[in-house]
Amino acid sequence: MSDTQQPRPAGTGTTRAEAAAELAEIQRRREQVIKAVLVPVWYWWVIAAAIVAIGVARDSGDLAVQATVIPLAALVIAVLTGAMIPELRRRVKAYTPPASARAPQTSARVAAAIIGMIVLVDGVILGTAASLHAAHLRYPGTIGCAAGAAAIVIAGPLVNRYLRKLMLSQARQQTSGAPQAAGTP
Amino acid sequence: MSTARFDELIHAPTRLAIVSLLAAAQWADFKYIRDELGLSDSALSKQLSTLESAGYVEIRKQFVGKFPRTSASLSPAGRQAFEQHVAALRQIIARSQQDCDAQPAAEAAHGIPRR
Repeated sequence: MSDTQQPRPAGTGTTRAEAAAELAEIQRRREQVIKAVLVPVWYWWVIAAAIVAIGVARDSGDLAVQATVIPLAALVIAVLTGAMIPELRRRVKAYTPPASARAPQTSARVAAAIIGMIVLVDGVILGTAASLHAAHLRYPGTIGCAAGAAAIVIAGPLVNRYLRKLMLSQARQQTSGAPQAAGTP
Repeated sequence: MSTARFDELIHAPTRLAIVSLLAAAQWADFKYIRDELGLSDSALSKQLSTLESAGYVEIRKQFVGKFPRTSASLSPAGRQAFEQHVAALRQIIARSQQDCDAQPAAEAAHGIPRR
């Protein structure tokens, strides 16, 4: 059938299987958009590598290494983060329903997930490094940053998954009318 | 919840893909839609024009530096039509489910033995 022909009266010829296939297509497109607006997994690995580099430079005790590596790693983190968000927003912007139609506390959950991850990573780095330093063990900066980097590569994709779930739940609510919190089946 | 209204314009496969993508987005770049759906420039332009004529899509053209950039978004009417179409699809599935559930009961009521 040509796309422009409209021979059937409203939906009467559509079978259950066709309707289910259309709903599956709609769901697939939703996920496509959500995937496009979330940061890719490699982003977390680059940030983790930069953090480890800072730790190694700190423990090297060499001022020249510190003066080169630490600003460079910080620059990588800043530029990558600063460029990633506008680049993602250049192609597509995810739909946000009006506040009245949104599931309660959606914005608060997004903020809590992101802030929670930052606090976790900082806590792991500082906690590990301080403990090792207090115990007079070697390379507290390197080990602390490596632990923080591990936390990033684990927590980053988990935060992505949570945000994806939240956005899908919001999109489902948009078409079903029933508010549904992320985390509820 | 939206009133169910099956929309033949949205029902066509290519347009369903475009509208579904735009429904999940505030707006989307022309190139992004083209690449994600694997369409040619002309095929996408044609479908977007059809949707724009129906008042379902708004096309925005602007310059970013020296480069022209075209983006598309669902209009409020398009979003409403999409939501109604989804409701109609759900209704088709629900009715079909009810028919399936009702059939054994009707057979039992008429004394038709079940195999």
